[in-house]
Amino acid sequence: MTHLVVLDCEAVQALRDPGHPKHHRVVSQAQVVASRKRRAVAIRVVVPTAVRVEAGWDRTSPAWVFPNRLQIADSPLDTASANAAAGIRDRTGVSVADSHMGTVIQSAPDGKITVVTSDPGDMRLVAGDRNITVAAI
Amino acid sequence: MERQTAIERISELLDDGELETSNTSMRIPTALRDAAALAVKELGIASSATTLTTAALRATLEAVVMQAALDDHYELHPQTRPDLGDLVIAAAELDGHPLAGQPGRLRQAATEIAANHPDASPDDVLLWAEARALPAA
Repeated sequence: MTHLVVLDCEAVQALRDPGHPKHHRVVSQAQVVASRKRRAVAIRVVVPTAVRVEAGWDRTSPAWVFPNRLQIADSPLDTASANAAAGIRDRTGVSVADSHMGTVIQSAPDGKITVVTSDPGDMRLVAGDRNITVAAI
Repeated sequence: MERQTAIERISELLDDGELETSNTSMRIPTALRDAAALAVKELGIASSATTLTTAALRATLEAVVMQAALDDHYELHPQTRPDLGDLVIAAAELDGHPLAGQPGRLRQAATEIAANHPDASPDDVLLWAEARALPAA
């Protein structure tokens, strides 16, 4: 089963900016993922597209070239996930981006899920019944 | 083609969602082909040998591109290169390891291991730290 790593807004912003106080920490996590991929461990990193919007991550912008090259896949806010995210937002009152995080977590296939986040409380809230590992930054 | 351009192009191709397929005349060792077919049929590790081969090839290429991106980043920003202690902490955080909350202990374990095993992986160090944390029988 694949280990899914989901990034929140601050994790993404930290990754982009070498001057960000949490950059070193998120880069270390990215390095661990890269090393595991090299050893054929099933692991993938995703970013919900609503998180990308909140973080200002435009994949066509040269400012984001480093995160763009780290094989971080988009998890799109399609019709079904928009409905699910609306439900999460209605129940919990979290932001649109965090609601989308919840949808990605709750709809993930069986397997380990790690959320890299600066807000562990909200992530546990939006995860619902899913068991997640929170890597707090 | 320059290395940097090649990496960019590989990354673009990996991100391409195009479903078009091509026949190839790739020659692989017969034993490997037979092992893959057996693993698919008897162990159900993929829906077909082609799927298995494609997934393995993608994972390898993703790992190569990701590591190239990180290496370029370290060259540009040497202060962002994580040491073994940073990587052990990152691995523990991603896994939700019980020692993730004890970075000092993990750094100490990294220092001890690196003295005799400079090529140790973060997971090696984590195992060592875990063993040391066990109460003596």
